[in-house]
Amino acid sequence: MSDIIFFLLAGMGLGSLYAMLGAGLVIVYRGSGVINFAQGAFAMYGVFTFDEARRNGYLRLPWFDFLPTYSLNVPVDIKLGDEGVSSPVAFVLAVAMAVMIGLMAHFLVFRPLRSAAPLGKVIGSLGVMLYLQGVAQNNFGGTGRQPEAITPDGVFDNFLGLGKAYPQGTFSAIVFAIVMGLVLWGVFQFTRFGLATRAASSNEKGAVLLGYSPQLLAALNWVIASVLATVAAIVLGPTGGSLTPVGLSALVVASLGAALIGRLQSILITVAGGLSIGAVQSLLVFWSSDDWFPNFLRSGARDVVPFVVIGVVLFLRGKKLPLRGTVEEKRLPLAPYPVRIKQHMVIWSAVVIVAAILFEGAGARSVFSLALVTSMIASILMLSMVVITGYVGQISLAQLSFAGVSAFVMARMMADGSTTISNPFPVSGPGLPWPIAALIGVITAIVVGIIVGLPAVRIRGVQLAVVTVAFAISLQSLYFENQSLTQLSAGAPASVKPASIFGIDLKSIGDKGLKDRPEFVIFVLVVLLGCIALVANLRRNGTGRRFLAVRANERAAAAAGINVSRQKLLAFGIAAGIAGVGGVMLGFNQGDVSSAGFVYQASLAYLAFAYLGGITSINGAVVGGLLAPAGFITVLSGYFLRDANIQDYTTIIGGMGMVVTAIQNPNGIAPTLQPLFQHLGRWLRTARGAEWGAAIKRLGPVFVLGVVIGYLIWPLRVDTYSKFWMPLYGGFLALFIRGIYKQARAGGHAPVPHGNTPTPVSAGAAPTPVEVG
Amino acid sequence: MALLKTYDMTVRYGGLAANADVNLEVPEGKLVGLIGPNGAGKTTFIDAITGFTNVSSGRVEFDGHDLEGMTPDRRAHLGLVRTFQSLELFEDLTVRENLLVAAEKPTWWSFIVDLLRPPKTSAEHEARVAGALSVLGLDDIADRLPMDLSHGQRKLVGVARALAAKPKLLLLDEPAAGLDTTESQLLGQHLRTFLETGTTIFLIDHDMGLVLNVCDYIYVLDFGKIIAEGTPAQIRKDPAVIGAYLGQSAGEAQAKAGEALAARTAAAASDASEQAPDQGGDHV
Ligand SMILES: Nc1ncnc2c1ncn2[C@@H]1O[C@H](COP(=O)(O)OP(=O)(O)OP(=O)(O)O)[C@@H](O)[C@H]1O
Ligand SMILES: [Mg+2]
Repeated sequence: MSDIIFFLLAGMGLGSLYAMLGAGLVIVYRGSGVINFAQGAFAMYGVFTFDEARRNGYLRLPWFDFLPTYSLNVPVDIKLGDEGVSSPVAFVLAVAMAVMIGLMAHFLVFRPLRSAAPLGKVIGSLGVMLYLQGVAQNNFGGTGRQPEAITPDGVFDNFLGLGKAYPQGTFSAIVFAIVMGLVLWGVFQFTRFGLATRAASSNEKGAVLLGYSPQLLAALNWVIASVLATVAAIVLGPTGGSLTPVGLSALVVASLGAALIGRLQSILITVAGGLSIGAVQSLLVFWSSDDWFPNFLRSGARDVVPFVVIGVVLFLRGKKLPLRGTVEEKRLPLAPYPVRIKQHMVIWSAVVIVAAILFEGAGARSVFSLALVTSMIASILMLSMVVITGYVGQISLAQLSFAGVSAFVMARMMADGSTTISNPFPVSGPGLPWPIAALIGVITAIVVGIIVGLPAVRIRGVQLAVVTVAFAISLQSLYFENQSLTQLSAGAPASVKPASIFGIDLKSIGDKGLKDRPEFVIFVLVVLLGCIALVANLRRNGTGRRFLAVRANERAAAAAGINVSRQKLLAFGIAAGIAGVGGVMLGFNQGDVSSAGFVYQASLAYLAFAYLGGITSINGAVVGGLLAPAGFITVLSGYFLRDANIQDYTTIIGGMGMVVTAIQNPNGIAPTLQPLFQHLGRWLRTARGAEWGAAIKRLGPVFVLGVVIGYLIWPLRVDTYSKFWMPLYGGFLALFIRGIYKQARAGGHAPVPHGNTPTPVSAGAAPTPVEVG
Repeated sequence: MALLKTYDMTVRYGGLAANADVNLEVPEGKLVGLIGPNGAGKTTFIDAITGFTNVSSGRVEFDGHDLEGMTPDRRAHLGLVRTFQSLELFEDLTVRENLLVAAEKPTWWSFIVDLLRPPKTSAEHEARVAGALSVLGLDDIADRLPMDLSHGQRKLVGVARALAAKPKLLLLDEPAAGLDTTESQLLGQHLRTFLETGTTIFLIDHDMGLVLNVCDYIYVLDFGKIIAEGTPAQIRKDPAVIGAYLGQSAGEAQAKAGEALAARTAAAASDASEQAPDQGGDHV
């Protein structure tokens, strides 16, 4: 018994961090109605700023040098001294940084997003999180750090007579959290500012009557939350061991559990909830070494706690159908009716097949083969997001986890107890042939998808996003990283045997060790086309109509005889199945599967690019795939701009892209590009000599201007930029920008085609969207 | 035979009884109206019948089924189809697709067919949708999106969607709100046509002209209770109805509606055959 009490108390150390981050979540939510997924990232950037200043004497600003010139640079690092600065100075700097980040978050992101759809807000805060993570990776490195604790480091020898040594640091952390909780509660309860915030959260007019601007209040609340996160991480973080940008950002999930216990309203209950979650986690870790503890739960038990808490709390509070008069949420962009699927498929397949053959053994250019494959697999994964989020409006942040389930299950079904080069430890398994193994993998993913979808029956919007991200984390530690289930020791990957069909070998790696086999590229292409056909059929048939009906209005859908719950589960199942196919293809491409590929952040990154491409359409998934990390456009840009290290900035650009898309163009890129390409395609078909002449006259100067600028920029930054490509790139970029500009001038976006009748003018082949990069 | 019958049905929201011991009957093939001032509990009644809100006590019977515990979509499949007072169309779907959603009755394997087969709709559903569109004169706008339509057209699409579901009982919640007088009269004619094709109708509206003209039987609800019922002629004369409409002070429009009714009632008393077209009851 005394052991139990001791471990409960010990867990409250980490729990106090959840409590403080949770309190920040509550403050932001009340202040501006946003569930801030970046709360952990705020804490992370703050504590790293503190540590960096104290350890190395540098202040690293939260951005990067984005000017592509040598002479003109954006200041990123400020040197404070040859050695580290003193703790108080570092503390003040960190707090100042937190203030700045809070203000930036409000003014640059969430203020512009204040009347966006819930998905837009989620995307915005995920974008901020990815951005801060990416910047932190560049500024501080991705490895763990152990900042010096500023709390006392002694121990209480026999704490409360429990017979064990209890760290004083943990004790002060708990006291700190409770005191801070009470202070915050007092501030919001008794000051005019607090009163105004509470008034504003129910009704903006209330705050105005009290003489405050609602926007000012929101900004102040962002600053408070950001500073709170930073201070908490500095004071409480070191008790949890070494800190990494990704690990700290992930704390937001347990903190969300705490905040949800407090109904996103009460700071005191949230603090208590955070402490309890930490305590229960610690107790589970203690118990997990006991005999009675189920073996497969041993490694992941603690990560499941927040998921269970979040799931149960939300499920109990949810309603099957929204109440009458529930505030109408802003809608997602239209999901266009797909037209001319076959023509597009034929043309693009030809392009990809030709490319696959050209790039085989093409020296430096053979990287494009792998890039194409990566992009096409990403498109498959994003198609699953189009189904679940674009069509049914359910925000799932677990799509990559479904892919992981299917890949892991497939690998296990292929395993036969032999060892491989990549994994010297034998993994037992039935040794099934690839089609059966893959099928079992996909079916498992579907089953898991439906189970994850169960909460969606009663939980909607942002809250569902929270549940799914908690689930993704649980799955990661319960399954992918769980040795007792995967039999993979020491992080070894599970090997995947290559597929083959009709005697054609479909392995991804060629004889020279390069991933450039056209057979594999075509294999992925065929699978992608299959998935596109499925989704296109779905959208155009009754099931798609029912999905969109549910997305538009659940009450009206029920009145039209639609079983809303069933449609949601069905959508989760279909989406998980498509994601599962993506996972299988990832496995074949990789030749093995490892947990690192399916961490929960992967889902976020893919969602970011799916949203950038356009989450409501098939075209969007394709464009998103091209944009995906290590995808075609990244590799292409990296090829032309060799020294720019584009790949270092994918997360940052992805995060920024998410924010900008959410604010500027929730439709995504695809629907914006579509009219442009349609126009071009129509023109190319009808143009004769005279038209070409006129076009050259009109566009020529713009192109030349772009070429000149490209030529001038090139020597400013790095010498290895290709003398040939930069001007050409500049020329096409100029044409592209002109096109977008003209389109914007012509009165926003051209209407997206809809309806069962194809629009009379049909676009033929659109040129490869190289200039999109 | 009564298609729909409620037995002492009560719906409570906290302390408020939005429907109190409502006993109401809709005979097959008839058009039954429900009127009452704002907040009387009319929408609550439809909500309770169609499963959108819980019945606190009492019972509802529809077409021989006890509806206790049945979900809204199952009730819709039984033929109990409603429209909404606030416009709740599927904004992402064209008008035709809106209707198709209601017309189609999927089976559990439909999704497999839908995934594998290029687009196709059954002739039966197409015909039903086409029928509903043409009956309400919406053919021209069938391929438009709801957001491109006028308010009146959207209202009609709502009715058409309910009709496409082939209802046994069509529950209309203020279909004429926001329509002008001619549109409203046209709607009245449409309703009578539906009756002839075998659809029973339950109509809620503030437009007294419409209700008194087209209904076979009328119930009056006030503060959740049925205060009067009868044929239009009886309702016109009922002192309790006049009281309810004059006695409450729920805003100008309502008072106007009440005055118009009173004026008409007086007129009807002197000259029973006169039926002036209503203009005061328009309620937005
Ligand atoms: N979900 C709910 N929770 C609490 N009270 C409700 C709810 N829905 C309706 N009410 C209340 O029940 C009463 C009846 O409302 P209802 O909407 O049924 O009236 P109505 O007759 O349809 O009015 P109107 O003519 O304005 O449409 C009102 O006082 C309303 O405030
Ligand atoms: Mg009503």
